[in-house]
Amino acid sequence: MRAWRPILALAALSALLAGCGDDPSTGDAAAAAPAGPWQFTDGSGQVVKADKTPTRIIAHAGEAAALMSFGIKPVGVYADEAVKTDPNLKSLDLTGIEILGEEWGKIDVEKAAALRPDLIVGDWWPAEKAHSGMEEGVDEKSKKLAELAPVVGVSQGKSIVALAEGYEDLAASLGADVDKPEVAANKKRFEQAVATFKEAVAAKPGLTVAAMSPSDEKVYVANPPYAPELLDLQSWGLKVIDPASPDPSFPYWENLSWENADKYQPDLILWDGRSFTATANAEWGKKQPTWFKIKAAKAGAAVSWPAFWLHTYGDFATELDKLTAAVKAADPNVGD
Amino acid sequence: MSATSPYATGTPRRRARRAVALGPGLAVLCAVLVLVAFLSVTMGSRSLGLWDVLRALGSLDDDGSITSTVTLEMRVPRTLLGILAGAALGVAGAVLQGVTRNPLADAGIMGINSGAAAFVVFAITVLGVRGAGVYVWFAFAGAAVALVLVYAIASMGREGATPVKLALAGVAVTAGLASVTSGIVMTNVDALNELRFWQVGSLAGRYTPILTGVAPFILVGLAVSMFFGRPLNGLALGEDAARGLGQHVPRTRAAAFAVVAVLAGAATAACGPIVFVGLVVPHVARFVCGPDYRWILPYSMLLAPIVLLLADVLGRVAVAPDELQVGVVLGVLGAPAFVAVVRYARLSEV
Repeated sequence: MRAWRPILALAALSALLAGCGDDPSTGDAAAAAPAGPWQFTDGSGQVVKADKTPTRIIAHAGEAAALMSFGIKPVGVYADEAVKTDPNLKSLDLTGIEILGEEWGKIDVEKAAALRPDLIVGDWWPAEKAHSGMEEGVDEKSKKLAELAPVVGVSQGKSIVALAEGYEDLAASLGADVDKPEVAANKKRFEQAVATFKEAVAAKPGLTVAAMSPSDEKVYVANPPYAPELLDLQSWGLKVIDPASPDPSFPYWENLSWENADKYQPDLILWDGRSFTATANAEWGKKQPTWFKIKAAKAGAAVSWPAFWLHTYGDFATELDKLTAAVKAADPNVGD
Repeated sequence: MSATSPYATGTPRRRARRAVALGPGLAVLCAVLVLVAFLSVTMGSRSLGLWDVLRALGSLDDDGSITSTVTLEMRVPRTLLGILAGAALGVAGAVLQGVTRNPLADAGIMGINSGAAAFVVFAITVLGVRGAGVYVWFAFAGAAVALVLVYAIASMGREGATPVKLALAGVAVTAGLASVTSGIVMTNVDALNELRFWQVGSLAGRYTPILTGVAPFILVGLAVSMFFGRPLNGLALGEDAARGLGQHVPRTRAAAFAVVAVLAGAATAACGPIVFVGLVVPHVARFVCGPDYRWILPYSMLLAPIVLLLADVLGRVAVAPDELQVGVVLGVLGAPAFVAVVRYARLSEV
């Protein structure tokens, strides 16, 4: 079940990494001529250098989408699910790009090697201290991707806006023209989406939301400091509940036993988009006696939360418009 | 494995005294089990007022309040499932240790857990099903298939399913099924993630449908198993002696295995593989009762759910509002407990 990937991938390394979740600054593109030498500050804080500007790039799904939005076409991509359903890739033209993986944790490194890449691009996950596709819990073989070429990525830090800007910088360092009209149009659409979202939120000062993910064993409540898109929503005025006691070894979530499912009473549930379906709320209400003790769940106030995948201004604008509609439709007194 | 005679351990007078003490002992264990069940209903990862819980229990009707829902729809079925699964695992372990004359026999070593896991993985990857409610039946089927396989392999050859051959067949089938399972989950991360949850062993998130699904199997299995005291005592003397006492040894073994398949299969299906209860509790029972299976079986049936429920309550209150799976708690507490049993009880005398 995709919903647990971030949970499980990290559960495996648990306490080892607890407490060392310092947050490196997001990548800064160094001003460099397209011919090289080239350098880029990775999300981990390391400066990656090359004599020539990389041209044969292998990128993880969302990172590939971000680069492509600036006109940088990778030679290969690896995704966490089928590229036809991956939210980052499904609407993109992937002809001429080698698909190296369509499942979390599995990358065809042999095929990747045949592409002779000179750069691998994957987000840096500060809590896991790893790049996308090479985290704890993936196939050991997949990690060998890092041996083919230098790996860089922007940190999944405090903001999707910063993430998008980071990839803009990376694209610029790779020679992209980031001042193209399409890019500007997406940015404008995004700015408008933010403005209408802020307006909708400001009109409902009493509205609180919680980002949640129910499972057979427990209910997970997302911890905004580890979910950049939730931090963005908070910065635009939406009251996203900060869970009181996130799992210390896996700070992405607070784990609630089903007995405690109703610990938080938001007015609107932001439901993990990886498991959200139109019928999910009703199904969980039937399956778990306490799910409908969350008044918002009982009222059917749930909307898909684009969890951990956004990378571009365009995608964020589209998702933001959906959230704006949900905020407008929400009853700010459901959870009171 | 020395086959000490159960009738050679003491003078008649000592045996009589023991029986006198063991009868009331069962009553005491019953009382303790009721007390532990009470704890399991009143304590948990959510703190509820004692009186509110009692009022909810008294009305037996979900009035829609959170106390009532948590008590009646979550804790009561969980506690009942814990009692049934615990009793099933304890008795299954005792019967297996008796019939195989192997002090290390438990559901895990006889291929039950690996069979159940293999079928759950099969359900996830090939059939694409998800959810604890569906896994139950696949796990049950897998446990039964594995046990039949173990018994069939061990039965090959002239001398039939001897203890040594059973142990070897159990290890072989376990290894075979486990490698199939890990072969699949290595290539399918989704299945691995689903299996990881199932494989810990837990009483959480399992409500009335699962309880009512497995309860008939466990209740019938427990009732039948109580008639195995005398045949197991006979087998403990060794195969020849058992035959001399008029037992049909292969038939006894086959029947005992069938009971174990039903008991351990149902418990594993409902809760996932729960370790140590089936292994350690029969040894504790044997330590208390001596080698007479007519006492070991009922003692195991009462001791095991006490242990399981206590471990579950501990896991629920230790990290509230989160919960630890009972399988984790038992794993942590079970190892030292087993060391203690090995140290103080004479393990080899099954």
